[in-house]
Amino acid sequence: MKYAGLVARREYLETIKTRGFWVGVFMFPLILFLSTSVPAWLAQKATPVRYYVLVDQSGGFAPVVESSLGKYQQKKELQALNDYARQYAAPVTNGPNPLAQFISADAQAVDKLNALGGRDYYLKQLQPRLKDKAPPFKEPARLYQPVPLPEDLQPDADVPSLARDLRPYLRGEKTLNFDGHAVSLTAAILIPSNIEQTIVRPNAKPAAWSAETNGIEYWAANLTESDLRDQVTQAVNDEVRRKEFLARGMDAAAFHDVEQTYVPVVSLNPKKEAGKETVKSGDVVLQWLPSAFVYLLWVSLFGISQMLLSNTIEEKSNRIIEVLLSSVTPGELMMGKLFGIAAVGLTMISAWMFSVFVVLSAKAGSAGEIAGQILPVLKTSHLLPMFALYFLLGYLMYGALILAIGSVCNTLKEAQSYMSSLTLLMMVPLMTMTYIPKDPNGTLARVLSWIPLFTPFTMMNRAMADPPWIDMVGTLILLIASAAVALWMAGKVFRTGILRTGQPPRIVEMIKWIRRAE
Amino acid sequence: MPGQPTILNAAMSTSAPNGSAPLELRGVTKYFGEFKAVDDISFTLPAGCICGFLGPNGAGKTTTIRMILDIIKPSGGSISVLGRPSALEVRERIGYLPEEKGLYKKMKTWSVVAYFATLKGMSRSAAKLRAFELLERYGLKDFALKPTDALSKGMGQKVQVLASIAHDPEFVILDEPFSGLDPVNQQVMEDIIRDMAARKRTVLFSTHVMQHAERLCERILLIARGRKIFDGTVPEAKRIIPPRVQIETADDVAPLRELKEVQSVRALVPPGPGASAPARWELELHESADPQSILQFCFARGIRLHSFNQSEPTLHEVFMRLVGPEAKEAGFR
Repeated sequence: MKYAGLVARREYLETIKTRGFWVGVFMFPLILFLSTSVPAWLAQKATPVRYYVLVDQSGGFAPVVESSLGKYQQKKELQALNDYARQYAAPVTNGPNPLAQFISADAQAVDKLNALGGRDYYLKQLQPRLKDKAPPFKEPARLYQPVPLPEDLQPDADVPSLARDLRPYLRGEKTLNFDGHAVSLTAAILIPSNIEQTIVRPNAKPAAWSAETNGIEYWAANLTESDLRDQVTQAVNDEVRRKEFLARGMDAAAFHDVEQTYVPVVSLNPKKEAGKETVKSGDVVLQWLPSAFVYLLWVSLFGISQMLLSNTIEEKSNRIIEVLLSSVTPGELMMGKLFGIAAVGLTMISAWMFSVFVVLSAKAGSAGEIAGQILPVLKTSHLLPMFALYFLLGYLMYGALILAIGSVCNTLKEAQSYMSSLTLLMMVPLMTMTYIPKDPNGTLARVLSWIPLFTPFTMMNRAMADPPWIDMVGTLILLIASAAVALWMAGKVFRTGILRTGQPPRIVEMIKWIRRAE
Repeated sequence: MPGQPTILNAAMSTSAPNGSAPLELRGVTKYFGEFKAVDDISFTLPAGCICGFLGPNGAGKTTTIRMILDIIKPSGGSISVLGRPSALEVRERIGYLPEEKGLYKKMKTWSVVAYFATLKGMSRSAAKLRAFELLERYGLKDFALKPTDALSKGMGQKVQVLASIAHDPEFVILDEPFSGLDPVNQQVMEDIIRDMAARKRTVLFSTHVMQHAERLCERILLIARGRKIFDGTVPEAKRIIPPRVQIETADDVAPLRELKEVQSVRALVPPGPGASAPARWELELHESADPQSILQFCFARGIRLHSFNQSEPTLHEVFMRLVGPEAKEAGFR
């Protein structure tokens, strides 16, 4: 054991000196940080202002479109206000938070805020709680900016000729002058004068569907960016419906109220304790949390398997193995390598966990945040100990296979042919990872749980779904037994293979080594 | 093949300081499948001597050494190392330099030496001190803190030798320690071996360069095709080849052929056309013959000698005589 310890110590110390290890350690938190921060940053900073022209020849729709897009902007502003409050204001300690009603940042919240005084009201309420070093609030840039038609175009020209004349601007061949800058046009919305006749009604033939009239024409070169189009569509159709109510003699205001009427539906989880069964939005996220652990398990197992393989092959290809074997038995060498690299893996995972806690804690400012809900779950649930257990057992099993492969190969290239089949096997849990949470105690999940190579991943995946105890205990026992058998067989292959030179043996030959008595 | 000489070890000390020979092989045999790599080798190595382990390529030297170190198990026979059935039981007291030599490329030179020393039971602090001390003594001080892939091949090999003896073992096995070394470092290697012997360590090293064996060894073990051919001291080995004298004369040597001491007469430089130029002859004598009697005979018969040279056979000649024909066809391994 002393010698295995010495081997393990060297493996550990030498591996954590390698660049690959540190890249692994820092890559994960970096990706975590970037994936949580960059999209927000991009949305805030890097999205350019979209300029559009709106030509309304019918005269009835321009104001509703403008006001709808205005509301869109206000929602964004409210969201920014909420973020600002979360970041720079101390939490409310006494009494209710008057700003809590705006947390959803939807149309109703915007209406409520507008009724109370808009942004100024919000900031005034926030003022006493603001931290000392809080910067002043910066309103988000306007995403959609209307611009007037180019001067040489006539707003009352017919739609086809307007479209023709706007093409060069939309293609980016010509620019418009707005606010002293040359800007390029993202979209043109052309509402023809006969728009009323193109309205489609159920049980009635479309009145004037013809080649000349398309309804509203939305011109844009970028088809993936559909937000503006959706806003316009909704605003116009809301207005069309409002007019339709009026035309049919109904009360549009009443209808608006009706539209806001609803019965709440609450999701309840029978597995939660009485009084706390209500499913919150965070609970859904928690259901997916095990998947994150499965992924982590996969990445870490895959990563350190590679290290184990290259370290084993290094000793073979560098001819160090023989002098080692005059000092340690193959068994001691194998165990030393296995545990040395296990320690490397645990170090890396601890670093990752640490960074997860740091990132989550930094982001877990408000109670509404998902991070704030994940953190206590991570701290109290059995997820972390389960992860540690399955990591170790999974590692022992895959590690045994890797050591057997490494011991019979002289170069990484030779090892690739064996490794490719192992990698293929390892892809299975990755592919089923997203299906299992949907039916965590279903047939697929249960079958995969009982296959030792997949047990760690599948059981981790089912962790939040309280699988039957027979699955929990049975698969665990099977996994431990399989890991032990894998290690025993690997030991036999390792002992014979490690001194071998030349072509790697065929599988049949290795099976012979395993069956051979001592 | 000439008859196998019987060597008696009785006169020699066969006891290690702890009372048993460093190495004892009894009827050791090794099969690889159908192939008999080592065939019934018995051998006892007395303590404190330098023994050359000789044999042509593919003779089974490395296999034998691996069995001695318990890296592979013999198919038959028994091995005792420092009195124990397995070398691993006494691994702290054994040093080994394998034929295939390699180092961890990214590790620092001192820490490779120290690592192997700790695997041999030294404490980490002692191993570190020892590593720096050895590297300094053998001119590698400047490389101690560099990774081993900065070393040249010869330096790397020196580092390995140092790694294998850093724990000051009482029994050292070196497999082809001279291969790949330049003459200067071959000399360093010889010094290392002599130094160990001077401190009463037992050294077994394999080589197929006979000059090294001849300069260093007190004893040799010669094997070919897995079988022991010779086992004994160097003078004993040389006695296998009959005593020879070389003479230079312009006269007729025919009378020498009649002598009972003379086995054969061979012309090294045949007589020239003019009888005045001396020819060189080699006379092979019978084992017990006294070369001085040849000299007396020549005087008596009036054979005028330009030179008379009584040359001792080299180990190379012994080797060629014993295993030359086999070595030629030994391409297998």
